[in-house]
Amino acid sequence: MAKDLISSGSLSDIRVLDLTRVWAGPLATRVMGDFGADIIKISDPRVQLLSSNGLNHKLNRNKRNIGVRLDIEEGRDVLLGLVKKSDVIIENFRPRVMRNLNIGYDVLKTVKPDIIFVSMPGFGVDGPYSEYPAFGTTAEAVAGIPSLIGYGDGVPISTGIAYGDPISGLNAITLIMAALRIKNQTGHGQFIDIALSASPLCNLGEYVGAYSGSKKVPNPSGNRSKEYSPQGAFRCRGRDQWIAISVFNNREWMNLKNLLNDSDVNDIQTDTLEHRKNHEEIIEGALAKWTSRLDAFEAVSLLQENGIRSGNVSSGAQLLEDAHLNDRDFFFDFEEEEYGWKRYDGNSIPGNKIPKSKWSGTNDVGVNSKEILTDLLGYTESLCKELASKEAVYFGD
Amino acid sequence: MLGSHQGNGHVLPLNGIRVLEVSEGVAGPYCGRYLASMGAEVVKIERPPHGDWSREIGPFIEGLPIGDNSALYSYNNQGKKSVLLEWTSSEGFQKLQSMVSEFDVLLEDWDLALRDEIGIPSGKFIDSDPRLIEISVTPFGLSGPYASWKSSPIVQLALGGYLYLTGERGKEPLMLPGRQPDYLTGLNASAAIHIALWERDRSGSGQFLEMSMLETLATLHQFTMEMTTFEGVLRMRNGNQWQRESSFASYGITTLPCSDGYICFGISTEDQWERLCAMIGRTDLIDDPDYDTRIKRADNSEYLDTLVTEWIADRTRQEIFVETSEIWGLPTAPILDMAEVVKDDQFRYREIFYDQDLGDSQVVTFPTYPYIASKMKPNIGLPPSLGEHTEDFLATN
Repeated sequence: MAKDLISSGSLSDIRVLDLTRVWAGPLATRVMGDFGADIIKISDPRVQLLSSNGLNHKLNRNKRNIGVRLDIEEGRDVLLGLVKKSDVIIENFRPRVMRNLNIGYDVLKTVKPDIIFVSMPGFGVDGPYSEYPAFGTTAEAVAGIPSLIGYGDGVPISTGIAYGDPISGLNAITLIMAALRIKNQTGHGQFIDIALSASPLCNLGEYVGAYSGSKKVPNPSGNRSKEYSPQGAFRCRGRDQWIAISVFNNREWMNLKNLLNDSDVNDIQTDTLEHRKNHEEIIEGALAKWTSRLDAFEAVSLLQENGIRSGNVSSGAQLLEDAHLNDRDFFFDFEEEEYGWKRYDGNSIPGNKIPKSKWSGTNDVGVNSKEILTDLLGYTESLCKELASKEAVYFGD
Repeated sequence: MLGSHQGNGHVLPLNGIRVLEVSEGVAGPYCGRYLASMGAEVVKIERPPHGDWSREIGPFIEGLPIGDNSALYSYNNQGKKSVLLEWTSSEGFQKLQSMVSEFDVLLEDWDLALRDEIGIPSGKFIDSDPRLIEISVTPFGLSGPYASWKSSPIVQLALGGYLYLTGERGKEPLMLPGRQPDYLTGLNASAAIHIALWERDRSGSGQFLEMSMLETLATLHQFTMEMTTFEGVLRMRNGNQWQRESSFASYGITTLPCSDGYICFGISTEDQWERLCAMIGRTDLIDDPDYDTRIKRADNSEYLDTLVTEWIADRTRQEIFVETSEIWGLPTAPILDMAEVVKDDQFRYREIFYDQDLGDSQVVTFPTYPYIASKMKPNIGLPPSLGEHTEDFLATN
């Protein structure tokens, strides 16, 4: 590989205009930015980006930022100028927002015929719910996710991680790259509509397939599984410390049974999955008793040494200190003037990325407005001043 | 070069790309399925006598013969070819090696133990074929303290920090349904392969890509780690509500019973709160000193739940969903179970479901893909029966 290509990243010849906010969209463009794509984040100057709770910090690294009011004509003109210089534009407003600003796909493709336009609305750009507002947690609800989580009392439980977002973000990367490939091969751009609510559904394919055959509606029962037993989270010594255990086969169970050496368990027939399912409560009780005396990390080490699938139930704080992730240099430490050194997650996609030592943290709204307008669009100093006075473009503090 | 046209202006972006899948279960196969839907020729190597272990694990589709009746296998292997080969023997491995040279992508799931046992250093294939893209998809990657650990979906969710966040405070943390870590990693692997193909097109170089499921999960948290690093607060599971101990606290992420099930509210902004008050006829709360900050509303969420429950109790999920969305602009969604998901008007309108005849007059419904694009349409093929294509690839001499 040529040296200049190594240092610049695989996607250094791609420019993406990023109008997305919050999570799903910024996640997709973050990955592309780590791989060297020129991500121009277009921020509304009236909305704060950097903040004391760090909400937008980790997903907007390696992006340039321009502050633009799209509802002001001169601001909209800036967007159209940038579209001419870009390969991809991505947004996650409700469908009517882009339409009302007169910057929908039908308009942008007249400006740049081969533009790849990616929309990430809650339910998709058409259909009966298309204009309904959505949120990661509501998106997962219509996909059936909470109906499959619960303690067996009929009360559905949401994931706690707004699951529609991360899946849609991952889908967006594949779809953008596929569309770029088509553009390279045929010269054509296109419109891509990724529904936040559809992404979790596609991660439940086996449930949909099995239901269509049996018409039996699956109900959750804690962490129990039809295939693996015992399986669950078990409390260890200390405050809210748990470990997860999952036994796949009889051999793994024999190892666990020997470790437990529990008289109640030894007295019953547990050799096969069927036997263990029949005695699940006794086995789980014995496991809980055993783990309650142990430190979570010691328990996991012991179990893994004996070939038993287990892991610490890590909190966010524990994740940051995870021995394995740190050994693999997974995290990204970055200092921001106002907020100090913080540790962020790295990039889980292997390949030819920009070296981490050259990553930049999140640029605040408008920090790169001037360089983008002058270098990319050839705007003069006086024109920039005019845009600033009309409040169409924000140039930072 | 022109792409492969499917009619209606649709193009299969990966037409001409050949993928050899030596990967079982879900993560690798889900990735292979995605690539196949985009036109790649995906050849799956399965070991005798039973093939991919997911052929023998539920949920099962009633009415199909054993080995072909797993909904999990059927879904994740749509559109592939199956070649039966005992590739772990020295003779078999030679055959595998000669096959690899005919392919663009090698998708494998060989963990450290297996690599040591069979003798496959990570450079084995890529060193002799520098255009090859080899992606290794394993639970923990090929280095680090957990590299030889055994895993499972619940173990991944535990170590990845998802389990800790789902379920009731103080009670056993709950897993996400099915095989979410594998699905997420499959999507991540698909993104990695697309980016690597882009790299190969511009530089001519293939790559060895080492992907870790744990790292995939660790990059998909929204603000779990930032709550610790910015606010010094531990993000905790809290049933269907967001926790009160952080700047994200507010009222309105909640799931409540109505006349025919549960409805999920995703209210998070100030103006949504005000519209919620108007909806339930309690605009007095907007200026009430007991409710004028997010944290106060979070502290009073039990009482607010009773007020909202009164308003929704006699209404159906659909009535509430339509009224809250169309009139009040509030993100809500019905919690649907599997029987309801497959009948949902929006999913039906967008034709996300696909009926597939799996033989023996068993027509099974699966989700397709979460996107609609103007020039890409997924190509859905049948899952192969075990060794269906062996003769096409292995001479029987």
